Amino acid sequence: MASYAALLGRKLGTVFLTALLLSIVVFIVLRIIPSDPLAMMLPPSATQADIDFIRKELGLDGSIFQQYLVWLGNALQGDLGASIYFRTPVLELLKTALPPTLELVLVSLVMALAISIPGGVLLYKLERRKGEMVADFALVFLLSVPSFLWGIILIIVLGVVYPILPFMGRIDPSFSVDTITGFLLIDTLLQGQWRAWFDAFQHLILPALALALSFSPIIVRVLRSSLLDTAAAQYVNVARLRGQSEWRVLVHHMLKNAALPTLTLIGVQFGFLFGGTLLIELIFSFPGIGNLMVQAIKNFDLPLIQGVALVFCLMVLVVNFCVDGLYAVLDPRLRTA
Amino acid sequence: MSSISVNQQARPRGGMARIFSHPKVAVGGAMVLLFICVAVFAPWLAPNDPNAQDLLATLLPPAWAADGMAQYPLGTDSLGRCVLSRLIYGSRIALIVAVAAATGTMLLGTTLAILAGYLRGGFDRATSFIVVLWMAFPPVVFSMMLMVGLGTGVRNVILAVILVDWTRFYRVVRAEVIVARQREYVQAARLLGFSHLRVMLREVLPGVAPLIITLFSLQMGVAIIVEAILSFVGLSVPSNVVAWGVMLADGRDQIYQAGWNLLAPVCGIVFAVLAFNLLSDGLRVVLDPRLRKRGGE
Repeated sequence: MASYAALLGRKLGTVFLTALLLSIVVFIVLRIIPSDPLAMMLPPSATQADIDFIRKELGLDGSIFQQYLVWLGNALQGDLGASIYFRTPVLELLKTALPPTLELVLVSLVMALAISIPGGVLLYKLERRKGEMVADFALVFLLSVPSFLWGIILIIVLGVVYPILPFMGRIDPSFSVDTITGFLLIDTLLQGQWRAWFDAFQHLILPALALALSFSPIIVRVLRSSLLDTAAAQYVNVARLRGQSEWRVLVHHMLKNAALPTLTLIGVQFGFLFGGTLLIELIFSFPGIGNLMVQAIKNFDLPLIQGVALVFCLMVLVVNFCVDGLYAVLDPRLRTA
Repeated sequence: MSSISVNQQARPRGGMARIFSHPKVAVGGAMVLLFICVAVFAPWLAPNDPNAQDLLATLLPPAWAADGMAQYPLGTDSLGRCVLSRLIYGSRIALIVAVAAATGTMLLGTTLAILAGYLRGGFDRATSFIVVLWMAFPPVVFSMMLMVGLGTGVRNVILAVILVDWTRFYRVVRAEVIVARQREYVQAARLLGFSHLRVMLREVLPGVAPLIITLFSLQMGVAIIVEAILSFVGLSVPSNVVAWGVMLADGRDQIYQAGWNLLAPVCGIVFAVLAFNLLSDGLRVVLDPRLRKRGGE
């Protein structure tokens, strides 16, 4: 168990180091910018002294290296600078925008699993049967529709043509919910506002489904091939010979073992799910960090872009770290390795 | 991946005939061909100038609807521009970005992968470490950030796709090169005194070529999606150039009055991406029988 803790500790160290290096990458990429962000925020009448003052204020003076050190020093103290466009601290903006995105991503992950576990089993069952070709083409088709197109299709079908579900924002503005955790599904419950909870949940369905629909074919694919791998394993034959029902063999022996490679894939592809929130949140006017990123980019808001980009990277790193930890819990062989 | 029937029929036949007898290659290939033809012959196929505005006929429904006009088969957008013509012209940007970005991604990713996988050592560690860093970026976030750094425009969209996606080629090809360099034919070539460069180009590269072709087709689909995303956000083409993402962004404002304005570019993007994905998926099976049992990436 000690080696396991040490392994996780080492991994945590790697996460920090990676995050630090990523912040350098982000910094350099944004400093090759051809246009001067100051030009957009100052009136034409600004004097050279004004420009110099603002430049210093925003930490945009000095060489890239100096700028980075200043930024890093502030960031380590919890100060990510102020947004040029919103004129508020980046950290404040992130604090309000992160919970909605996490809520959206978690709900869509649940939806994706609800779609892809039966889907993977179905495709496995169809292997070498008549329906295989159809299912196979359907899978490639589903892999070809990116999440933001699902978003648009869902809005047209379930929002406009058959107006069943809302597709603007997180909750109907007529509800007033105090912010406790920032997660609307939790805050409404804490305050006993059942109707608000239901409304917030309805608002989540379409954006989360759009993300889930583009994520699940990726999971289905790996789940099917892992199931095919386990089907050839001896323990599966042994279970069958012991007279266990097909269903029991599938659930207790095959799915359990197929879960490991699937989990790895979900970890690796989590960035894909997170990246999808950029356009999904824009399309559904959802006030999360994805939408914040798009706004920041449209306004050339450097401090904000930097902050949001790093949060995206951190999320991916944290998820990968958790998947590593979970993997070791699920697979005893990895604890000593 | 799938399709047992093909392997049962794997009698000695002409190479091309065998490849195209696979249903995914056949369907995907035909769709790719159609897509390329539409893009190349756009000026002859489009019924109208894609930028010509007919302000007396805005937001027309498709021609088969009650108040549609035969002149505009798929209707018009909010400025009275022909949706079908814009759909046809939009394929040009998609094709240009797909070809250029996939080529660049392939060259960069494969070169680094072969060098890293074959030479190993410090170079391998360094490039692999960069890949680990790159993997922490959600691709969309990274490409948008690059567009801020590089500035808008189609050329920079291509550059952004290359700089983000070369890791896909790198990871897959490098793993294959590491296996290939242990093979006898590579060892034999070294014993014969061939230079490292010659071994890499003449022995290792042909071995991983099927994989590269498969990834190339896949990457073309990815590039089309990325271009659509970036032009949707307004980071890609200038306003006088037609792109599917721009059509989506324009159509979003009139979603209640004219949903068909959105459906046309949605279908265009899905068609093109599906074409390359089918082709890639089929080629993977046909070109490398060993991959039949492997799923996923």
